[in-house]
Amino acid sequence: MLLYSILFPIISLIAIAWFLFRHLKGKNSLTTVILWTVLWIFVIIFSIFPNTSFVFARLFGITRGLDFLIIVVFIVLFYTVFKLYFRVDELQEQLNTIVKELALQNEITSDDEDE
Amino acid sequence: MGFEISAEDKDLTYIILPAYNEATRIRPVIEEIARKGYKMIIVNDGSSDNTLDVIKASQKKYPKNIFIYSHIINRGVGMAMQTGFDAVLRYNPKYVVNMDSDGQHSVDDLENVLEPLVTGRAQAVIGVRPLKDMPLSRNFANAIMNLLTRIFYRVNVSDSQTGFRAITAEALKKIEINARGYLISSEFIREVHDNKIPFEEVPIKTIYTPETQAKGTNVTEAFKILIQMIKHQF
Repeated sequence: MLLYSILFPIISLIAIAWFLFRHLKGKNSLTTVILWTVLWIFVIIFSIFPNTSFVFARLFGITRGLDFLIIVVFIVLFYTVFKLYFRVDELQEQLNTIVKELALQNEITSDDEDE
Repeated sequence: MGFEISAEDKDLTYIILPAYNEATRIRPVIEEIARKGYKMIIVNDGSSDNTLDVIKASQKKYPKNIFIYSHIINRGVGMAMQTGFDAVLRYNPKYVVNMDSDGQHSVDDLENVLEPLVTGRAQAVIGVRPLKDMPLSRNFANAIMNLLTRIFYRVNVSDSQTGFRAITAEALKKIEINARGYLISSEFIREVHDNKIPFEEVPIKTIYTPETQAKGTNVTEAFKILIQMIKHQF
């Protein structure tokens, strides 16, 4: 047995446990947990039985199993970056509102200095 | 003899100055504006130098002319302007002018940008910088931005990135600014155009120094603005 076929399933199980733990603490929705769990289960399957990637590759008309895996990883990473970008953008917007409101509520006058 | 604004109109005019790390340049600008008898809203955009202390010192000299608002952290010129626009409406102004606080704009041009508003010819004005005075890199970035403003916002102006603009309070209430950074210049023009606000371009003087050249719309900023313009299409 190769090292990755032991290491990847362990990492996957830790990741699934982490997502479940976050769900129980109310930090992740059930949909997020299910999507990530499915992804990590595929990682476990492909690590232990690498040849199964061929089956999926052929389904999508890709010749090599490894190419299929690389494409899937790219899609997942792209989605994650995209989601993070929008989350950061949303947080920036909230931060801007706070900074603006704070400034508007605290006009600085020369009397402030004298007090 | 140029246009001279009446004391009454001057009293109803407020100048918004966004300021970020302008400690070495802002004092002559704001004190000259105050000496001319205009009132101003200065928005300190989370400066890391002592800009706020410099403004406060000037406010002690001219307490009736200087009103200060301060962002606790830096959020960009667009946000500083949004704060300025929201703040200025509390003072019931008639005319609102926006200019840079780094000394790039001449205080003597205030009357020139106000003239079309006061005479009723326009409700919004942008101060257009002479192209010949502009450094080459800035000139190039500006040409790109004018083109992008034309493509994305369908407005054709000679200087889409100017920081010197004036608007009546009535028109200001109609426009909506959401830009955080330098996109504000193009967004202001788009809002004025989309709201069918009578609009005029006025030539202004620009004083370029190595310090003022370091700020503003360069090629990197132009690229950032392009990304935001594309985003705004959706």
